[in-house]
Amino acid sequence: MRRLFPPIPPHPGPAAMAAVARPRRAALAGILTIAMALAAAGAARAAPDGGAGWAPASSERLIKLPASYLKKAVDRDYAKSGLAAAMAESENAVGLKHQTLQDLQAAMERADGELRVDLRHRFLAEKRAYLELVARGQTLRRKRARTRVKLYERLLAKLGYRRTAMTPQKVALVEKQQAALRRLDATSARVDTVFFRSSMGRESRYATAYAANLSAIERLVQAIGAHPMNDQASTDTAGLSKEDHLRGLIAAAEAELATLGQEASILGFMAKLVSLDAMALSEDVAGVEGDGEETTETGAGLTKAVDLFVTR
Amino acid sequence: MSTRKLLLCAAAAAVLLGPLPAAQAGSLENLERERAMLMQAMLSAEMSAKERQGKVALSRNRLIDLERMVLRDKKLVGRNSPAVRAAYENYDLTFLVHASIERDRALLDHWMYQVGVSTQSLMNAKVGRR
Repeated sequence: MRRLFPPIPPHPGPAAMAAVARPRRAALAGILTIAMALAAAGAARAAPDGGAGWAPASSERLIKLPASYLKKAVDRDYAKSGLAAAMAESENAVGLKHQTLQDLQAAMERADGELRVDLRHRFLAEKRAYLELVARGQTLRRKRARTRVKLYERLLAKLGYRRTAMTPQKVALVEKQQAALRRLDATSARVDTVFFRSSMGRESRYATAYAANLSAIERLVQAIGAHPMNDQASTDTAGLSKEDHLRGLIAAAEAELATLGQEASILGFMAKLVSLDAMALSEDVAGVEGDGEETTETGAGLTKAVDLFVTR
Repeated sequence: MSTRKLLLCAAAAAVLLGPLPAAQAGSLENLERERAMLMQAMLSAEMSAKERQGKVALSRNRLIDLERMVLRDKKLVGRNSPAVRAAYENYDLTFLVHASIERDRALLDHWMYQVGVSTQSLMNAKVGRR
């Protein structure tokens, strides 16, 4: 089996330790400094998203929410996360870098001679920086889509568990309880008429309070039904079960992941163009004429930036 | 025993007896208790007719509320305990007042019918030695 750690050397003893204590301490400090620097570099490589995270919990509250509100609750949770902040920052940086590239391209078209070569060099450097920013944005979007898929899958699994947790005996009991409530609703008015509406007695405090509360609840339910946000939330989920809605959300998140895969390949083509442009620039500076052909490329998600990359 | 010792004993007793939880019955237990009292009033041979009428009316009015409370109690929905299962096994016996009105019968008639005693079966019964 491959060893993950180097073997521990034997203990040198107290006398030997005292003799070598000072130089060893200095060496240890040096090793620690190097290790920390390496760890920092490794962390920067391992977390290109700057440690931005989003860890939504598949809580019981989410499961109990109506299907139409589920996505809104998840989106609200995401908006509060570090990942959302990093995404907004990344999109802003990409927009600014795109503007810089457009400005440089316009300046390059007007310049000639050494200034043009200098501007071409800067243009290439900015293109590279743009690609890095877009790649970071894609990493964040991928992280968001994967987190969503995992969350919805966990919710779906929990829903399934709850369905199976209903034993046949329990299902039968709930059915009986619903049937009993229907019988009560059908007879309660008659009971009130027989016992309370006559001169013999009057309604109890419970009955009066219950009727008042029920009236208040009905008014609130009507207000909820008439609320425009409720209409908006329910139009796209009408006739769907919660499981169907969750499966739809998973499919949407998977679609985003697939689009991201396509955009990653566009980014790869752009990077290849930048490297070809860099080769052409170096040949131009060295005085070697290129063949003058420009490589053209088309993309899906990053199409607005493609024009900047097909121009040298 | 000095006053100081008495005070100490009283304080210790208060500490020991204070946190005892109060027994709290659910809506179903209250319904069962009230129904038992109604049946006792209806079947007791030691009451005058007027006394019986007063007790039955009181229990019946309480039962109307209690039956509604049980049927609307969301805590009981799906609670698969023997008491809840037994209560919903026979609606006509558990929710006696509502069921009697539903069937257009007097309370006692309805209860007797549910436990298998009808006018016909009483008329057909013969006195004999076992």
